[in-house]
Amino acid sequence: MFLEVNAEKNLGSFRLNVEFSMGRGYCVILGPTGAGKSLLLELIAGIVKPDRGRVVMDGEDITEIPPEKRGIGFVPQDYALFPHMNVRKNIAYGLRHEKGHKKDKRVKEIAEKLGISHLLDREPATLSGGERQRVALARALVIKPKLILLDEPLSAVDLGTKEKLINELKYIHSEFEIPIVHVTHDVIEAAMLAEEMAVVMDGRIIKAGGVEDILHGRATEFRDGSLFKTFLEIMKQWS
Amino acid sequence: MRPTFSLVLAALSALIVLFILLPVVVTISTQFYNPGFIQAMEDRAVWSSILLTYYAALLSTLIAIVFGTPLSYILSRYSFLGRSIVEGVVDIPVVIPHTAAGIALLAVFGSNGLIGSFSPFKFVDALPGIVVAMLFVSVPIYLNAAREGFASIDLRLEQVARTLGASQWRVFFTISLPLAARHIAAGALMAWARAISEFGAIVVIAYYPMIAPTLIYERYISAGLSAAGPVTAILILLSLAVFVAIRILLWGENVSRSER
Repeated sequence: MFLEVNAEKNLGSFRLNVEFSMGRGYCVILGPTGAGKSLLLELIAGIVKPDRGRVVMDGEDITEIPPEKRGIGFVPQDYALFPHMNVRKNIAYGLRHEKGHKKDKRVKEIAEKLGISHLLDREPATLSGGERQRVALARALVIKPKLILLDEPLSAVDLGTKEKLINELKYIHSEFEIPIVHVTHDVIEAAMLAEEMAVVMDGRIIKAGGVEDILHGRATEFRDGSLFKTFLEIMKQWS
Repeated sequence: MRPTFSLVLAALSALIVLFILLPVVVTISTQFYNPGFIQAMEDRAVWSSILLTYYAALLSTLIAIVFGTPLSYILSRYSFLGRSIVEGVVDIPVVIPHTAAGIALLAVFGSNGLIGSFSPFKFVDALPGIVVAMLFVSVPIYLNAAREGFASIDLRLEQVARTLGASQWRVFFTISLPLAARHIAAGALMAWARAISEFGAIVVIAYYPMIAPTLIYERYISAGLSAAGPVTAILILLSLAVFVAIRILLWGENVSRSER
């Protein structure tokens, strides 16, 4: 297994107690709001430390390693672009040790791959939701992390954009050959993206494994987007 | 809005603005006919007291920034045992009458005081005494403004910066500090203004060298309103000018940032 989390964390009256593992695929963590999904991501990123247990990545115990030394990219729900830096500086933030022209080159490369080259001199406040997400992804990917964490990446966009972004996330996963942990409360989103899946409820993982298994063999109905497309068509008829 | 409602609002608001403005305007306007005003303008004692006031207030503000910024960051970020006690301590100077603050400072910085007795600096009737008195009364203003600035920053920004390889130091200097800069600048300005306006605490610990408020008080006691008026007018005009200038400077920076 590439990533193993076996940890407990108490926050006030909430208790997260998880045994979670994943390979190098696209892993979706599915669960309702308040289930502890974001907290699990924070444990993996190193933003919070577990009260008990450990986090192991690639065979190495990283429980005590601070976030800046883990090499894990984190894209939070609201993308958290630095508002006082333009897009170029946002993306270059993690490339502190690169020399000037090499840094520029890497920023340009990643911007091209994500189709945001024309946005490099813009301020974050002027970007649309989809653009912001791509910038946040570029900023996380440019440091060549070992793992990417996405917290509800599609919750802030409308349905039309959602379909497009789902394809982009698939593209990023295959193009960069990087394991992804994607947290969501949306079953359709989960089924369309997941190679592996874990379902979280009340701070516990109640089900984990392959997508087919968890969705009782009906994942294809979700995955080919037919349900999603049906809903989009219905919506069009409404308007 | 109902017309009577807006009328009452406007009338009451106008009254309070007038209440603030009237003494200032009257003090300054009466000086146009006062030959004492020119005299005061040429009085070296007046200018050196004003310069001393601004200089001491500047020192006090710089000390507040250097030592106060870390504390305000801690108070905005971490919960720890005794945190509310520390927050209470920070506000103590606000509730102490200023002459009492002066006496308390004398107990510590006086020549027989806890620190004053061995310190290489002389505090009583000296610049360091003025600075500690100004610092004592103005530092809560700075601390609270800076804390508010840090608290207004989305924690996710700092967390993401960490995952991008930045140490806690780098996050503080490249994310937290720049994003709190406007609050910090505004807090420093208000603290500086508060330091300039202090009289009660300073007069106890350092009557000499004379800061402007002490000079005004002394002229009023020894020669009456006609002697104190001109100096007061100069101090008010100058303080307003500096205050407005800094505000425009800060505001100008804000405009250029949003345009970029």
